[in-house]
Amino acid sequence: MRKEDTTSNVLVYVELADGAPVKAGLEALTPAHMLTEKNGGDVIAAVLGKGISDAAGLVAAAGADRVITVDSEELAEYDLDAYADILRQIIEKEKPDVVLLGGTGDGKDLAPKLAAIFDAAAAADVTDIKVDGEDAVFVTTEYSGAIYSDVLIEEARPGIATTRSGAFKKPECESRGSVEAADLKVSDGVVKTKVIDTVKEITEAVNLEDAEIIVSGGRGMGSKENFGLVEELAKILGGEVGATRPAIEDGWITKNHQIGQSGKVVAPKLYIAAGVSGAVQHLSGITGSDYIVAINKDEDAPIFSVANVGIVGDAMKVLPVMIEEIRKIREG
Amino acid sequence: MNILVCIKQVPDDSVEVTMGADGKPAVEGITPVVNAFDTYALEMATRLKETLDDGSEITALCIGPDSAKNSLKNCLAVGADYAYLVNNESVDETDAMGIAHILKGAVEKLVAEKGKFDLIFTGKEATDVALGHTGIYLAYKLGAAVITDAMDLEVKGDRVTVKHETEEGHRVIEAPLPVVLTVTKPAYDPRYPTIKNKMAARRKPIDELKLGDLVAMDQLTAKIRTVSEYEPPRRAAGVKIKEESEEESAVKAIQMMVDAKVL
Repeated sequence: MRKEDTTSNVLVYVELADGAPVKAGLEALTPAHMLTEKNGGDVIAAVLGKGISDAAGLVAAAGADRVITVDSEELAEYDLDAYADILRQIIEKEKPDVVLLGGTGDGKDLAPKLAAIFDAAAAADVTDIKVDGEDAVFVTTEYSGAIYSDVLIEEARPGIATTRSGAFKKPECESRGSVEAADLKVSDGVVKTKVIDTVKEITEAVNLEDAEIIVSGGRGMGSKENFGLVEELAKILGGEVGATRPAIEDGWITKNHQIGQSGKVVAPKLYIAAGVSGAVQHLSGITGSDYIVAINKDEDAPIFSVANVGIVGDAMKVLPVMIEEIRKIREG
Repeated sequence: MNILVCIKQVPDDSVEVTMGADGKPAVEGITPVVNAFDTYALEMATRLKETLDDGSEITALCIGPDSAKNSLKNCLAVGADYAYLVNNESVDETDAMGIAHILKGAVEKLVAEKGKFDLIFTGKEATDVALGHTGIYLAYKLGAAVITDAMDLEVKGDRVTVKHETEEGHRVIEAPLPVVLTVTKPAYDPRYPTIKNKMAARRKPIDELKLGDLVAMDQLTAKIRTVSEYEPPRRAAGVKIKEESEEESAVKAIQMMVDAKVL
């Protein structure tokens, strides 16, 4: 139920990284449109940082009706308290019914921070939205993705939600949204923390969300060296490399390759899982795939329950043959 | 240093949850455990206590059913000095904001007995609902700084420096105490209790805080409501290949993939 003093607009916080909008932020524009198409109102994007006019232009062209920018020195480096305070001011002025944020690490902090400030409520890792009259029902998951839970934010406004990375596609339509600069300052006394260093350990970009082919490996690969077979097959297929949490925790590959509950949701045309047992945490991220091929020694591994083709056998012996066979096919 | 660690008892997350006949997730038969991220929080707090070696004390606090006393006993065996339970079995439905209200009330009650807390640790999220909201809500209500996704920390004087995990690496964030920290998986694993510590923990009391003394009931009204819970649509299982050799299986699988036009 919408409160009388809110509009039907939806505000989307579009996070920037290296001067460009992050994919999760742009993805959140899609559910925003799902809401405004049903209930009217504009999709307003908020873009914060320093020297962000190019990024704001990209957001205006990527599906936002309006883009509000706050471009200032004090926002050059992200700080939870500072960014939340600026978003508070934008929300107080625009009075959106719903605020959406891409489910990045920072988005997942800003959402509850805003909910606390407005004494409202937030839904986390939303995978779909059902519009029921004026109400937005958020589809979320619980118990590692084994159970879906439809939640409704009642009375408290704005309704706040983070979207699950990869769950929504970026809007395909082009837009010519307006860009408005807002001259907002971080309020005195709200910033309690100080970021003294930012360290980038991962520099390669991984595009699991848009990949047509993904080859992923799990703990069953046994070692970093063996995991190389997964990477080789992905390379030959022109696909991306995915991984389960155990493979990442063992240091075989960086965490931006993680698929599943605490990683990305993927929906490729072909998903090949090698040495992946199929814990529910992983399965919840791959069931949207068109065609799943699984390789596992354990005939009873849960991964086989979702696979179109399951190969019962040692991935270390199966993968080299697959690599060879596919190379033959590709070379015609 | 006076340290508080807030824990939640959850169903063992290695067990797959299914829907029960009553339209609710069937979790009754699943062993309750301390939320994994809260065990990391307690381990981080315990290592800090050991490093400081200055008589710092750790209090563990849990909101949950009477059975959560077992989880608190486990905390007492791996680093906590005191343990408190807020029994919430009388509350039908609340949300993370309601839980934060209760925690705030409990913190204020404990502060009256033990003095103010310098650091409040909790897991970055619970493995059951995976919201990651409670720590941030609690910090806001207490007017304390919050640093999320902590992987490591160092205390110097009245400030804490925290390694905060990001998608691409980490940030180093500093704040004056008191600070609420939400903890992610650090580089180490939580310790197992020794038999001796287990025995000692069994003899320690679990004190109960009465819900009614901490919070007004209307503060617990959920603003976010679950409309329905259900199992995700299942994919049908396909063909399983198990030929004489892995090579034959692989060749057969490739042929099937070619036939299905996915290669």
